[in-house]
Amino acid sequence: MNDVLRVARTHVLTAVRERITLFWFLIFPLLLLVLLSAIFGQIGRSGGMQFAVSLVDLDRGEERAFSDLVVRLFQTLASNEEASGEPLFALSLPGEDEDPTAFLETAREELLRGQRAAVVILPNGFGDAVLAGLGGASATPDAELRVLYAAGNAASEMARSIVLQVLARVDREILERAGRLDATTTVRTETSWVGGAGEQASYIDFLLPGIVLMGLFVNGLFGIPGSILFARERRILRRYWVTPLGVPRFLAGLSIGHVALCVVQFALLYAVGRFALGATVSFADAATVGLLVLAAATFMALGFVIASLAKTGNAGMAVANALNMPIMFLSGLFFPISGLPAALRVIVYINPASYLAAGLRARLGVDAATFPTALIVLVPLAWVAVAAVLVAVRMRWDVER
Amino acid sequence: MTAFRALLAAESRLLIRDRVALFFTIGFPLVFILIFGFVMGDVGETAASLGLYVASGVEQAVLQEVFAESGVTELRTYPSEEALVAAVTTGEVEFGASWDGADLRFVYHANRVQENPTYETIARSSLDAFELRRGGLAPAVPVRAEAVGGTPDVSWFHQLVPGILAFSILASGLFAVSGHVTGMKERGTLARLTVTPMRPVTLLAAIMAARLTLVLLSTTMTLLIAWWGFRLEFAVNWLRFVGLVACSTVGTMGLGTIIALVVRRASSAANAANVLSMGMLFLSGVYFPIEFLPGGLRALSQALPLRHMAEAMRFAIGVRDMSVGRFWGIALALAVLGIVLLPLLARYVVRADRR
Amino acid sequence: MTPEAALRVKNLCKRYGEVRAVDDVSFEAGVGTVFTLLGPNGAGKTTTLEILEGIRHPDSGSLELFGVAMDRVGRVTKQRFGVLLQEGNFEQYLRVREVIELFASFFDASRSVDEILEMVALKDKARAYVKALSGGQKQRLALGAALVNDPDLVFLDEPTTGLDPQARRNIWTMTDGLRRQGKTILLTTHYMEEAESLSDTVCVMDHGRIIAQGTPRELTTSLDRETMIEFAVGDLDEADVEKLRGCCAAIRRQGELLTVETEELVPTMEAILEWARLNEVSVRNMVVRQPNLEDVFLSLTGRRLRE
Repeated sequence: MNDVLRVARTHVLTAVRERITLFWFLIFPLLLLVLLSAIFGQIGRSGGMQFAVSLVDLDRGEERAFSDLVVRLFQTLASNEEASGEPLFALSLPGEDEDPTAFLETAREELLRGQRAAVVILPNGFGDAVLAGLGGASATPDAELRVLYAAGNAASEMARSIVLQVLARVDREILERAGRLDATTTVRTETSWVGGAGEQASYIDFLLPGIVLMGLFVNGLFGIPGSILFARERRILRRYWVTPLGVPRFLAGLSIGHVALCVVQFALLYAVGRFALGATVSFADAATVGLLVLAAATFMALGFVIASLAKTGNAGMAVANALNMPIMFLSGLFFPISGLPAALRVIVYINPASYLAAGLRARLGVDAATFPTALIVLVPLAWVAVAAVLVAVRMRWDVER
Repeated sequence: MTAFRALLAAESRLLIRDRVALFFTIGFPLVFILIFGFVMGDVGETAASLGLYVASGVEQAVLQEVFAESGVTELRTYPSEEALVAAVTTGEVEFGASWDGADLRFVYHANRVQENPTYETIARSSLDAFELRRGGLAPAVPVRAEAVGGTPDVSWFHQLVPGILAFSILASGLFAVSGHVTGMKERGTLARLTVTPMRPVTLLAAIMAARLTLVLLSTTMTLLIAWWGFRLEFAVNWLRFVGLVACSTVGTMGLGTIIALVVRRASSAANAANVLSMGMLFLSGVYFPIEFLPGGLRALSQALPLRHMAEAMRFAIGVRDMSVGRFWGIALALAVLGIVLLPLLARYVVRADRR
Repeated sequence: MTPEAALRVKNLCKRYGEVRAVDDVSFEAGVGTVFTLLGPNGAGKTTTLEILEGIRHPDSGSLELFGVAMDRVGRVTKQRFGVLLQEGNFEQYLRVREVIELFASFFDASRSVDEILEMVALKDKARAYVKALSGGQKQRLALGAALVNDPDLVFLDEPTTGLDPQARRNIWTMTDGLRRQGKTILLTTHYMEEAESLSDTVCVMDHGRIIAQGTPRELTTSLDRETMIEFAVGDLDEADVEKLRGCCAAIRRQGELLTVETEELVPTMEAILEWARLNEVSVRNMVVRQPNLEDVFLSLTGRRLRE
């Protein structure tokens, strides 16, 4: 037993001491966790994003109140008064002596080039039209407030949506002041959440399990073939084979060492997720731990599959790189995988990551399970069995035989 | 000239045999396009299916109209609130609304973390519109949203492809130096070559030419696959495209040179290049718009070459507009970066490795 | 067959396709002796050793280690011997001490780490990473790993190849020390001096076969010639060499170096000096010596040990 543990210890020490391994298995998943939660965790929350918006007031009509209202509202949103963090808009208005039409042209150009998210135009006669509208007349198309956005540009589409919401607020205010909105028209609203924890899951709770799985995956897919193949190539392994150690004990030690690394990785990710990013999801029950162990074992098995089939360390890494993305992306881990053509759906179904990801999310109450429990356990185990067979039959443990 | 041709032949052969380099240059973009093509399919229209329960049919027609206008793509009605809640819980519909004449209650699934903000937006605008419609009011502020842009049918996938192309050029150029050349130095191959009359510049030119050819082939192939496999139309301006690819290859080799010079150990250079390119990939607006980044990172993004390469590539293949001046400015800056660093790289090739 | 043999090999064969790497090899190594397999690269020495070490399987033949007959070497036998492989490495990022600890854990019984480090003079490098070791230090570490279980039988496969003279001498000293402790050493080498100075028995191998066996003394005196006269000459054409052949029967030429084998030292010496004077040949660095194993190999195969 001592020899097995020593081999395990060796595996851990060499992984930790080689800086680049340390980076990919510890630092990279951590960075990903922090970065993604910083970016996506703030969508829809104030203080997060900022859009460059141009506002042009072309209104020359008599009724100024409404145009002023709109302009003022946008200016407020563009200053730091309202939101915490960054203001929602980076607002651009024509200067005192600037020709508004020319300004509009420039703004349009910038919008086309993706340098601006939206352009808001208050046309001539806007104020009058609003006033008339309150009196019952319908507005002509010329007097409509226009929001220009760049189609197909995600940021611009989002800006459009936000601007429209802002304008809806203006709408309310005007109608309220005009006394049009009263008790009979006002609609009360309530929001409730169902499923999962019964209240809105935060993005970090959604993200953390995924990153944990990804970490285990990268570890197994790259770490195992890397260790074995490069050690074989550099004739480190053959020094072991002239001793009583033997292949089975070596494998046992390697596996234990690998699991130890996975535990360290998990602990770090969980600690950061929980204490720095506020995740509330808990991994502390037997079934979840079992699932994580199964995941670590399955991905380790995938690593062994690669190590059995590749001839050199570089070839193994190339294969790992090539498999990395399809397995990750075709597992539903990062985005839903409905609507795939049959060929790809087959891949999803044989991909053990699909089951593990679904299982983990379901266990943590973050998502409804999309696969039956039996499959969640059996498909990964099947892969472990496949790997065991391949290692026994095809793995070459020495440079020559 | 024969030295160049011989080196070019050798470099080309090496390149084809270097599986990792091949993967990043050809395989990576292809795999990416394939996967994203199938997985993302019709992104841009998030399916917003709504379940609706209206007590005793009150104002149902109005509500349905309002929801349809606010972006709901599919609407199903349910006979009771319990049935509605059940439908949302099981995922039969994405979110739900129930109206009893006084309260409009919205029901969301707690775990649709990424999609719920969209549904909440729909809910809010529906609420506003419904209020007005009930009171027979027209919106006080008449608003019209207009899409501008010469390429109206540009989806998120269209935006992704040029980013991927730019990344594969970046990876190829970086690893040509911080990987290939540094590897040659480590193995002593460089030392053996430099004691011959061969000028280092000839070797570098051969490496550059081999990479450039490969990258041109692979990017064109990727475009073809996107077009043929997923019916993505690109209005490629070939002059700009080839120009950008050439300048970018030179420029990214320059970047690779910086890495090789800063990271003294040859073996670490490739790792550093890998790490940096991955980091750039996330922060350069390839996967998601720059606007999503928090302020500090957004500023950092401005400094990343990949960001500008991706934007230029979008222009070159007709996905987004840009000023021609800015386009050639980017291309020129990249080319200059590479050319200016070329003598430093030549000196690196010749210099004995400090250990 | 003496009962005191630590190791017996009979009719060992290993082929790779058409090539007979080990061709009907038989020998015995006595307990407490240094038994050397001497031969050029590709002679089959390493293959033979690897079969004995258990990392290669023979096509046919029998082995007997420590009095136990076997077809192949298994785990139990491996507990009792130590191996220094010709080519091998340790994990770069392990410390010297950790390497010894690792290998010690593979055996049921092992010496203490400090003892081993002391034995191979790496005590002050105990905390150094393998990465930082010189070639000689790495080889000493490998030797330490080979001795960690205090084996009765030690395999040393080309232990000094690529080492500088000082490091080489260190290894020789350690090897001799092991022999004096009563251990049996099976050594392979293509260095003649190594075979001569360390060995009790030398087995000369070429193309997979044993072509001569005996003590170094027995082998060198098996040559009829008693003395070798070696000297360097300046520019010389074949005609002049032919003239020398007239008086000296066995002459070898390798570039500038001429070697004359003779049973009669003085007359031959005179003849050479006469020839040199007559033909105005400048003779330098003349050496008179006993025949060595290189000469033995040359006379048996017509080739040198090291090409």
